[in-house]
Amino acid sequence: MARVGEATSSVGLPDALARARMRASMVPDLLVEARRVANNVIAGWHGRRKRGIGENFWQFRPYVEGEAIARIDWRRSARDDQLYVRDREWEASHTIWLWADASPSMLYKSASAAVAKDSRALVLALALAELLSRSGERIAWPGLTDPFVSRHGAERLAAQLAQAKAPPARPDLGAVRRFSDVVLVSDFLDPVEDTVAWLEPLAQRGARAHLIEVADPAEEVFPYSGRTEFRDPETGARLTAGRAEALGEEYRRLYLARRAELSAWCKRLGWSLTVNHTDRLASEALVKVHQAMSEDAGYRAGTRA
Amino acid sequence: MNALALSFAQPLVLWGLVALPVIWWLLRLTPPRPQTEVFPPLRILARVLKTEETPHQSPWWLTLLRLAIAALVILALADPVLNPRERLAAEGRALALVVDNGWASAPDWDRRAATAERLIADARDGGVPVVLAMTAEPANAEIGPFGADAALERLNAAAPQPVPTDRPGTYARVADALADLPGAAIAVLADGLAAEGDEAAFETLFAAGAARVLWFSPDGLSTAVVTAAENRPEAFRVSAVRAPGDAAPRRLAVFASDDKGRRIAEAALAFGPGETSAFADMAVPFELRNDFAAVALEGERHAGGLHVLDENARRRRVGLLSPVEADQAQPLLSPLYYIRRALAPYADLVEPSRLEATEAIPELIERGPAIIVMADVGTLPEAARERLVEWVRGGGTLVRFAGPRLAVAENDPELLPVRLRLGERSLGGTLSWTEPQPVTEFPPAGPFADLAPPRDVTVRRQVLAEPSAEIVERTWANLADGTPLVTGAQRGDGMVVLFHVTPEATWSNLPISGSFVEMLRRVVQLSRNQGRIDAAADGGTGTLAPYRMIGADGTLVPPPPQAEPLPAAGPRAVTLANPPGLYGSEAGVVAHNLFGAKATLAPLARPDTALPVTDASYAFDQSRDLKGPLLAASLGLLALDALAVLWLGGLFAGLRRRPGAARTAAAPALALVLAAGLWPADPAAAQDARPDQQPDDQAVIEAISETRIGYVLTGDSAIDSVSRAGIAGLSRFLAQKTAFEPGEPAGVDIDSDELAFYPLIYWPMAPDAAMPSEAAIARVDAYMRQGGTVLFDTRDQFSGGFRDGGAVSPGTQRLRDILSGLNVPALEPVPDDHVLTKAFYILSEFPGRYRGSPLWVEAALDAESRADRPVRTGDGVSPIMITGNDLAGAWAIDSDGGALLPTVPADPLQRVYAFRAGVNIMMYMLTGNYKSDQVHVPVLLERLGQ
Repeated sequence: MARVGEATSSVGLPDALARARMRASMVPDLLVEARRVANNVIAGWHGRRKRGIGENFWQFRPYVEGEAIARIDWRRSARDDQLYVRDREWEASHTIWLWADASPSMLYKSASAAVAKDSRALVLALALAELLSRSGERIAWPGLTDPFVSRHGAERLAAQLAQAKAPPARPDLGAVRRFSDVVLVSDFLDPVEDTVAWLEPLAQRGARAHLIEVADPAEEVFPYSGRTEFRDPETGARLTAGRAEALGEEYRRLYLARRAELSAWCKRLGWSLTVNHTDRLASEALVKVHQAMSEDAGYRAGTRA
Repeated sequence: MNALALSFAQPLVLWGLVALPVIWWLLRLTPPRPQTEVFPPLRILARVLKTEETPHQSPWWLTLLRLAIAALVILALADPVLNPRERLAAEGRALALVVDNGWASAPDWDRRAATAERLIADARDGGVPVVLAMTAEPANAEIGPFGADAALERLNAAAPQPVPTDRPGTYARVADALADLPGAAIAVLADGLAAEGDEAAFETLFAAGAARVLWFSPDGLSTAVVTAAENRPEAFRVSAVRAPGDAAPRRLAVFASDDKGRRIAEAALAFGPGETSAFADMAVPFELRNDFAAVALEGERHAGGLHVLDENARRRRVGLLSPVEADQAQPLLSPLYYIRRALAPYADLVEPSRLEATEAIPELIERGPAIIVMADVGTLPEAARERLVEWVRGGGTLVRFAGPRLAVAENDPELLPVRLRLGERSLGGTLSWTEPQPVTEFPPAGPFADLAPPRDVTVRRQVLAEPSAEIVERTWANLADGTPLVTGAQRGDGMVVLFHVTPEATWSNLPISGSFVEMLRRVVQLSRNQGRIDAAADGGTGTLAPYRMIGADGTLVPPPPQAEPLPAAGPRAVTLANPPGLYGSEAGVVAHNLFGAKATLAPLARPDTALPVTDASYAFDQSRDLKGPLLAASLGLLALDALAVLWLGGLFAGLRRRPGAARTAAAPALALVLAAGLWPADPAAAQDARPDQQPDDQAVIEAISETRIGYVLTGDSAIDSVSRAGIAGLSRFLAQKTAFEPGEPAGVDIDSDELAFYPLIYWPMAPDAAMPSEAAIARVDAYMRQGGTVLFDTRDQFSGGFRDGGAVSPGTQRLRDILSGLNVPALEPVPDDHVLTKAFYILSEFPGRYRGSPLWVEAALDAESRADRPVRTGDGVSPIMITGNDLAGAWAIDSDGGALLPTVPADPLQRVYAFRAGVNIMMYMLTGNYKSDQVHVPVLLERLGQ
């Protein structure tokens, strides 16, 4: 029986140089793909056509009782008997932290998947970087860069990544400030309590996180059968199942329960959790995340700005 | 043979079983290698897997399976043999096998052959030559010595024969063959039945210098054979004997079958304890017994179990002898008339070609009758009498009838059962006080005892027997006054029977009573068949060709090639050249049976001899080499093991749940296959659901729910509309004037519509329209032949110009064209006395729009036209009518009921006559020649009145 999944690179992390080189060589390709994906998305997204804090006039609208009087545009109001408020287009630049998990557990690709999980995660992160930097947002990579604005944010991020040392399994999110968005691309296979404990400070600081769970179909479907020895790429632990097919149902239940729990937690905080399977297109997740971010941005612009 | 009936050729190999624990240990240590998989969400899986024991060793049953395989292989290598046979070792210089393959060996020939085969196999192991002799073989058959293989071949070619064994001859030949091979072992495979010359035969055999004797005899001798089949008056008796060695009571079913092998009668045959002979009676009707072709013992599958029957067991041949030549003009007065009528169903009747007794009696006896019936023969010439007496003493039955001649003849003690008084006795005559005497109960001792005495038979005259001591026991039937009516007596093997009345109904009415038939039948049954198949039946050569032989298994088979003709006369022995069976031809057969009536069976005793004798019994070689089956079993288990390993490896689960593409691709394919399988079934199912529905059923129901007059749609719309209007007008007229109310006129497309619904189809000729197709004309032809009538109308009475024979109107031409494709009967103009002229109205002509054209109908060739009848009689309705008067034109009405077309000439009465013609035609169609009977009513009434 053919193997269901394989590790996409050596598990031995010590050889950081080789790994960095490998990743560096991968980045340009990813960059190109990320551009391609971002182009797909941006085609349906014209600017930030929202009122908000900005320079440019957006619209006049009738004054509503309770609004700040300072916002009344008297010049316009003087022309008739109605009070008007001048809305400006939202142009406030936003800081968005991007992070893609590069832990060994991401280095996995099953037979039915198109790409490895870490590859997909990086592509999503860079594509978001491309999208956001094109629209003038400040992007950052926790533990790697400070927030910056650049027309070529993705390239810069990629260059930084290529030169980076082996990153820690979980980056320090202490630099994330209030009102920042955080996009975390990982497989979130750790116990939910660990993940929650890691992300709880973010919520406390008022940052918003968008979780993208990159899942391999093999992990979700569990197509194993027969006598199978399973090996954890992260810890190297081994488990041998006498008849793997007998475990499938229970496993799937637990797997999905984990996701459901995480998703429920995110929803409670107003965060989003997007699942992207590596046998599906990256742009699907990209569109979803982007929607989640922009809708939310509009909401916040309307109330808090 | 040990207790388990299992032995090993290589017992040392069994030590290999000691290695089994080692194998077990090894097997337990090496579980099947698992598939290694990287699996990032291992922590989740770990929570699941806690519940399952992870097997680090092979499952116990897999280990057991593999151990079993190993054990089986070791056992197989040890060459185990089940039921090892003992060796009847053929030490010595040679082995002589003398095998009885006579009829008695057939039932268990396989065992005998297997025993012989075993002996030959031993001889092969010992490397000694084999002398193989069968006791029922041609004397020139080769007996060896053979090599073992050749002997085996010969043994396989041998088969049991349906003939007795010939031990003396065979044993002598074996002794000759053994003369060169001193010290041989002789194996006698006997069939257990003694035969003539056994003692001398065994003496010869054992004197041939043999070293030892192996004596095989069957365990039990349960053979039973049919010895005789006898057609007795009351039943068909089958006798059987069995070998005396078998003392237990035994019941056998015996059945009779006809010449086609059908079983037609059955009986049980029971041997009492210690009895060696028994018989069974089949009480079946006499007629059925004549069909018996063979009787057989159920379950006795050898030649002795089947007994073929020939004419002797069947119909009797009865010779008839009359003193006077029968007057052909007055057959009822012939003396033999009633005898012939009574006996013909049960017997073959033969009559001499000559009248003179000197010639007639030898001629009759020559043909071998069982019975000779003499009607009122008084005295016989001495030579003829001698022959007759001899024949009677030899078993013939002579039945005599009294008469005027016998009444005055001398007494003949040989040919008459009783002494007769001279002259006859008359009862109830004009000058007699006595009454005609009835018949009383038949004497219980006589053969008629169980017959019901005739109540209505009276005897007016008879010949009287002299009173004597034996007259009572010789009397078979009495009159009420105690005088004998029928007497009978034994004469040697034969019998003489006298009816004291004439065979015709002059002296009594006995011959015309049913009892006469029964009495004669009973006499016939009592008689014995003397008939032999005529020698001439086989071309006069004196031999009888083999016809159907009894096979060794007790069935009838075609003659084998070595069967020779049977001499017609002289002693007949059952030999290989003359196997038992039927000889002759289809015309007549002679049964040649294995056993005669007096045959017995005796068991064969082992002869005393000085040689060492080993007793043995027949048995199949039951030793079975178990090596092959064991290896096969281990291979099977190995296959199981492979499957189990695959199962453990999850192959089958993988086949069940193949993720993604395979399943999605398979689903439509499966759906396609299913659909393809179901699709052809659907129309069939739909048809099944409504088996009788046809698309035009509704039209058919409408067409037949009322009687409609049809007209042919010619395609010319003017003509068709006139036809329709005409038929409608006629229908209205019919409804007004008669009890017949036709339905809507039916336009008929003769190409496609069903024509059979219409009694009459009106067909106007439309010369401008297209000629009907041949198929359409054929349909019309069939319609006419099935009883329909077509009324052709050329509508050209006045358009044809002068009828000088030269000019033909287009309508007539079209009619001729159409009629050339039809089977048109001979036609005639409606004659004056035709029923058409009187069917409803009395008409003399049938005008339409035109007047003058005759109406042509089928000529009634066989019709009777008599001057005193107003109408000709005759059957049938003319299938065709032809007119030129344009009837529909005259009938045609418009929607208001007014006439559509004028008549020519414009005479209102002509239209009325046209309608009347139409009514007559319709009545003729619907009632046929009924009116030709009705027109007689006045005559009949007139006659009744007088």
